[in-house]
Amino acid sequence: MLDRVVHRTDLSALIDELARTRRIVGPVKHEDRFFYEAVDRAGRLDLDFTYCVYSPKAQLLPPKETLLTFDRTTGNFTCHPLYDERPTVLAGVHPCDLHAIKLLDHVFGAEHADEQYLSRRRHMFLIGIDCPHPCTAGVFCRDMHAHVADSGFDLMCYPLERDQAGRTVRYGVQVGTTAGQEAILYGRVGTPPTPEAEQHLARYQAEKDRAFPKAIPVDSAGLPGLLAKSYDSLLWEATARRCYSCGSCNLVCPTCYCFDIHDDGALGGNGGERVREWDGCQLRGFAEVAGPHNFRPKPGSRLRHRVFRKGKWILERTGLPGCVGCARCDRACTARISLVDMYKQLAEEV
Amino acid sequence: MKPRIAIFSLTGCEGCSLAILELEDQLLAVLDAVEIVNFREGMTERAWDIDIGFVDGAVSTPGDEAEIRHYRESCKVLVAIGACACLGGINTLKNHQLAAEYRGYVYGERAAWFPTTAARPIAAVVKVDYELPGCPMVKEEFLRFVKHLLAGRQFRLPDYAVCVECKKRGNPCLYDRGVVCLGPMTRAGCDAICPTYGSKCEACRGIVSPEALAAAALNLRDQYHVPQEEVLAGLRLYGAYQEEKLP
Amino acid sequence: MIAERTKRAARPSLYEPVVARIRSVTKQTDSEMLFDIALPEGRPLGHQPGQFVQVLVPGVGECPISICTSPTRADSFGLCVRRVGDVTAHLHGLGAGDTVGIRGPLGRGFNLAEFIGRDVLIVAGGLGLAPVRSLIQYILDERANFGRFSLLYGARNPSELLFRADLVRWRERKDMNFHVTVDKPDDDWRGHSGVVTTLFRELPALDPSTRVVVVGPPVMFKFVVLEVLARRIPQKQLYCSLERRMKCGVGKCGHCQVNHVYVCMEGPVFTYGELKAIREAFE
Repeated sequence: MLDRVVHRTDLSALIDELARTRRIVGPVKHEDRFFYEAVDRAGRLDLDFTYCVYSPKAQLLPPKETLLTFDRTTGNFTCHPLYDERPTVLAGVHPCDLHAIKLLDHVFGAEHADEQYLSRRRHMFLIGIDCPHPCTAGVFCRDMHAHVADSGFDLMCYPLERDQAGRTVRYGVQVGTTAGQEAILYGRVGTPPTPEAEQHLARYQAEKDRAFPKAIPVDSAGLPGLLAKSYDSLLWEATARRCYSCGSCNLVCPTCYCFDIHDDGALGGNGGERVREWDGCQLRGFAEVAGPHNFRPKPGSRLRHRVFRKGKWILERTGLPGCVGCARCDRACTARISLVDMYKQLAEEV
Repeated sequence: MKPRIAIFSLTGCEGCSLAILELEDQLLAVLDAVEIVNFREGMTERAWDIDIGFVDGAVSTPGDEAEIRHYRESCKVLVAIGACACLGGINTLKNHQLAAEYRGYVYGERAAWFPTTAARPIAAVVKVDYELPGCPMVKEEFLRFVKHLLAGRQFRLPDYAVCVECKKRGNPCLYDRGVVCLGPMTRAGCDAICPTYGSKCEACRGIVSPEALAAAALNLRDQYHVPQEEVLAGLRLYGAYQEEKLP
Repeated sequence: MIAERTKRAARPSLYEPVVARIRSVTKQTDSEMLFDIALPEGRPLGHQPGQFVQVLVPGVGECPISICTSPTRADSFGLCVRRVGDVTAHLHGLGAGDTVGIRGPLGRGFNLAEFIGRDVLIVAGGLGLAPVRSLIQYILDERANFGRFSLLYGARNPSELLFRADLVRWRERKDMNFHVTVDKPDDDWRGHSGVVTTLFRELPALDPSTRVVVVGPPVMFKFVVLEVLARRIPQKQLYCSLERRMKCGVGKCGHCQVNHVYVCMEGPVFTYGELKAIREAFE
């Protein structure tokens, strides 16, 4: 069901309108690739982007952030938490990344709410852009049921019509929240959907359904079962021989949210800060405690840990898939270790 | 009592010593926290009761060897700074050539006046307490080291690869452009400065782990068809790897 | 469907500690110190035996430490800290009157409802006595609510014995069955020597409903579990505590995860029955 039909210039105008009180972050093209970046106006965004090399995770959970500052006086100290409450419109998020944000919302918002994450999240206006076809080879979002999203956005835009240059000229817009509703109403953008536009959307969705192939032998619901049978597979150790333990797969993953916290004191003086920084289970020191003792010293065990989190444990724990099939991990791996390949090989083994 | 600091140079360009002077706005805070008692690049006085000695350059001559032993005896804590001091650095390129040839090339007829040995990291000659690698040494890491030492905290180098810093900065990966970058096998801590400016990593901070080196040996040959000699030549630039064969 | 965007709630940061004051520091061994810590205004920590806190030394970092006193002694709490890394080394440098940051109590402790009315056997090795001491104190403070109570404690050598004043008091008590052993006795040692499993001979026959707690180094753990299971105690009545790299303490940062389990959330206390399903716990 559509709520509005807008022209590309309307969408731009809407983002600029929202940006009167917000920052704009969205896909920007550099050479042949797209990256999420802060821009000063919507015209700089490329909403017909294929995929962004990095997911929008960094917009919600920055690679490095100060959680709190502290000040020591003799025999005492005080702490001051910092919150990032800059209103932001994040424009141009594909369904896979919307699913990933949903998982982050659950992890940081459900039990033991993380106010540092939530303050950023609450001030973010999310504009989704649907993908008519797979953004690139090797993705398996369909298998993870993450190629479509019916919630998790303020507005969702379906690219219904393209011009000869391949640019989307007309979007069908679906409203996801009251904030989204208000933006459409107050912005007075676009026109109400006609029956013809609804038919157009149905046609678009049918074509999309045909365009996204199955890429792996099981879907997200079947993965936990496949992995349960594969815990002792030799594949982990064998594949991990190629693994540098560089953590690139973790860091580019939209659903990898593990982090480290460390202290940084000022040189001379009593001030300092506690800093949160991205971490990854593939890095050698991830499970190391003082002593030192490493609870997961083998690259093969670390690889298995990551794949089990992606395919089984996060789903079982949260009810939400721990992987959205974007294949950023596969593309980021210079050793060409691939989740898709591993899933195929495991399916052949069992 | 402020710790008494010395900064020494063996064979190298002394750029790592200079990097300390380049700390700029942080330099005053450092000078406030420590007392520099021996630093050829920055002062004329010389004292020899030293708490922490920083040494750049490789051990590349019989004279270097005598000096580093003297530094070791004079310093309670000895810190190797820069690729030359930590890995041997660029100097080690000569280790893979015939001595008569390179000495003739560099010193001509007077080669005999300048005795040299194979270039070695200082840890090959004396006990080293800490290493701050890189070409040049990373100023920010030096600062972190000083902060840790003054606060009585254990200092550890990052035990992960340069890729981590590239990803945190949101850099495009050079491999996507077909460039074989040594980042995946190289110790981080430089904030991925070379890849950030479009140049491949050349492992000036050394190999991060034996596993990463073993993975490199497999991947670069099988996935990227880089002959072993080429990988070795790349890793030898800063002395990150000296053997004849990869694992 | 239109969803309400969440409204901002005035909740503090998860990572902000309470500034707590050290009341006293007592040397236990060459590497362990006992800290008595009070929250502001004598507020109780509100913990269960077996839970832990994150202790912050600002400018150095945080580390997880199990609480070694019972909630029945509420105006302060104890932490037995072994010097192993940066934070613990700095903690050892602090004294009475100094402050530290405290987050917690965190994790799942012993399920006391399961213990009440039952016989209890606690077997501790080395620093493993610290996390179970909270339970020992609890049982002794509420002695009438429990059945027969036995405690077996083993250390490598006499100089590594923790809580010596407690050991003396426990030995004198008629309402508990306490035995201590050292692997390597010195010349002054008059007590039992040998590994902790040798103390099982001193025990009366165990009732099948006995709740057993085993906390200690991995090598000890296996052999004690064998002794316990050989006495036909069901696996779900056997409790232990896992050590991992708890960092955030609230199930987010991922460091303490063992297979599907977050030790900081589902643990650190597990039954042996639960632990068996966590393959990595034994690797």
